[in-house]
Amino acid sequence: MAIIVNLDVMMAKRKISLGELAEQVGITQANLSILKTGKAKAVRFSTLEKLCEVLDCQPGDILEYRKEDS
Amino acid sequence: MWTKTRSLMLSRVLTVGAAAAALVLMFFIPRFAEWYEEISVGRGVIGGSIAAPLTVTLFFTTLLFLAVLAALHILLSNISRGSVFTDSNTRCLRFISWACMLAGAAFFVFGLWRFIFMAAGAMAVFFGLIMRVLKNVFAAAVELKQDNDYTI
Repeated sequence: MAIIVNLDVMMAKRKISLGELAEQVGITQANLSILKTGKAKAVRFSTLEKLCEVLDCQPGDILEYRKEDS
Repeated sequence: MWTKTRSLMLSRVLTVGAAAAALVLMFFIPRFAEWYEEISVGRGVIGGSIAAPLTVTLFFTTLLFLAVLAALHILLSNISRGSVFTDSNTRCLRFISWACMLAGAAFFVFGLWRFIFMAAGAMAVFFGLIMRVLKNVFAAAVELKQDNDYTI
């Protein structure tokens, strides 16, 4: 997929674990893991908003567009 | 009180009952074919005895019927486990659709001996078509469910 999720980078910067983040955002660890590993097909604005709030960052810090080689 | 679980259980019991009845009736197919030949007054393109082709047709369609019941049993088991919109269920519906079409084709062939069986063939093909549409709806639902499951 051309959209890269840099959640692990942000989590490392903020020194927050998966469990802590999941709890603060209000989603399950399993769902957060799906998002972190790039398996997610879509992200709700409400989830993104909560992630940005907890991680104190911008959506662009979490999501990145990278052109795929065809 | 009537619940979803009891309804599923009834469907499963009826499926197993139908399979048992079909298995028992299979033993009487040759006798039924001979009896039908005696009383049949219909016509077809091919003349002569109809006992042998009717026996073959009924055996073939009964086997398909049993296979369809097995697919229905799998489908009902999956539903009772809570897995409704899955690839496995879509495959079951696809199989049922093709089995109905095949049964329809078998009745069409026997319609060469007795035209009336072409009506049964048309009905089976039409039912197969309905099942095919249902299978397409299920396939779309599986995709929607996957999208929903992977939306965080």
